[in-house]
Amino acid sequence: MEEKITFEENMKKLSAVVAELSKGEIPLEKAVELYGEGVRLAAVCKKQLSEAQIKITEDGGFAAPENNYD
Amino acid sequence: MPLLTVSQINRYLASKIGGDKILQNILVKGEISNFVHHIRTGHFYFSVKDEVSSMKAVMFKTAHHNLKFMPEDGMSAVFSCDVKVYETGGYYQLVVKDIIPEGAGKQSVALDQLKKKLAAEGLFDQSAKQSLPHMPKKIGAVTSLTGAAIQDIIRVLSRRYPICELYAVDAQVQGESAPDSICRGLMCADNAGCDVIIVGRGGGSAEDLSAFNTEKVARAIYACKTPVISAVGHEVDFTLADLAADMRAPTPSAAAEQAVPDIRTIMEQIDALEKSCHREAEKCISKAEDSLKALSSALSAQSPENRLKLMQQQLSTLESRNSSAFEAILSRLDSRLNENIARLDSLSPLKVLERGYSLVYSGEKLVRSKNELAVGDSVQLRFHEGGASAEIKEVW
Repeated sequence: MEEKITFEENMKKLSAVVAELSKGEIPLEKAVELYGEGVRLAAVCKKQLSEAQIKITEDGGFAAPENNYD
Repeated sequence: MPLLTVSQINRYLASKIGGDKILQNILVKGEISNFVHHIRTGHFYFSVKDEVSSMKAVMFKTAHHNLKFMPEDGMSAVFSCDVKVYETGGYYQLVVKDIIPEGAGKQSVALDQLKKKLAAEGLFDQSAKQSLPHMPKKIGAVTSLTGAAIQDIIRVLSRRYPICELYAVDAQVQGESAPDSICRGLMCADNAGCDVIIVGRGGGSAEDLSAFNTEKVARAIYACKTPVISAVGHEVDFTLADLAADMRAPTPSAAAEQAVPDIRTIMEQIDALEKSCHREAEKCISKAEDSLKALSSALSAQSPENRLKLMQQQLSTLESRNSSAFEAILSRLDSRLNENIARLDSLSPLKVLERGYSLVYSGEKLVRSKNELAVGDSVQLRFHEGGASAEIKEVW
């Protein structure tokens, strides 16, 4: 399930959690919940980064335009 | 007829020629002769000639230090220059700002004109530049897939930011069909949902840059909705592609570096965010603890034991206040009594009797007036010491 959410989205969420926590005026229960979410997201982000493997798509359709052009 | 000095004439001619727009900021075609690199001043002195005539020329050190070649006799070139009068010597000359060798010169002039045209259209405006995304998901690369450039890009991306996706579009970067091939590659990458596009070719200054100096490639780069980084692989020359791109990188590797953040920096950011999480959560907890402490101390203040203690305190305070008040009243009464006794003493009739006065009683009643007495009444006299009985003989 976590795999479906992209790294960038997880980073955005993590930043949002920290921003929410930093507001201060939040109930303790909510703070604990956010904290748990933040720690989880950080771990997911790190995992995604460390396991990342560059994905390469090649598009050679236009390599020789003189063949299919003119 | 006015009498003039030589200096006056030279100065007049200098201002005349210097003020003539036809003679300023011009391109002059010719051949170099009598070339001298003056050792002491560092300036170039030479003549520019054609089949018929010749002209003196100077190129100052400040102008020629950017020149990528050494001029020599017999070299045909286009000179970017002003016509000026050398007042001390009384002759006019070309003050050369740039030398474009013939052949390359023609192309360069055309390129210059094209550059001006595209600049006027706003293709190179800083305000038109798009900023690069901080964390691009998909990176487009338009270059030869058999060249070194794509390998460099893959190497850098794998090291710096392996979480990204590379969309590599093959394009010819040299030869006649290169401009069309590059344009199509750009369009392809632009429509493939890339977040940033790198367009360029591998290094090697001997390679031909001309595809990247074409109008169509510059326009194709400008037309991209996606931010474009140019990586033409030339440290010095800025191609039209470089000028039209949102960002210029000297090499494909550098372009890849600019396109993505470093994974180590991102890791540090995650750590920092995690730390903030800890810190903020701890803040929330300690805040809750503080308010709990405040409440529980307020609560214990209201406990029965505490109230009893409080009431006992109040009672003993009242008791002590009570007794001290009572004592105060007592002492006040005491002093008033003494006062009264003293006053009583001073007012006592006995004191008056001491001074020789007497009191007359009729029975139990003290006589104050003759009206209370009749002749023959019996009265009692009271002195300081003792008393006597008497009879009234006369009343007046």
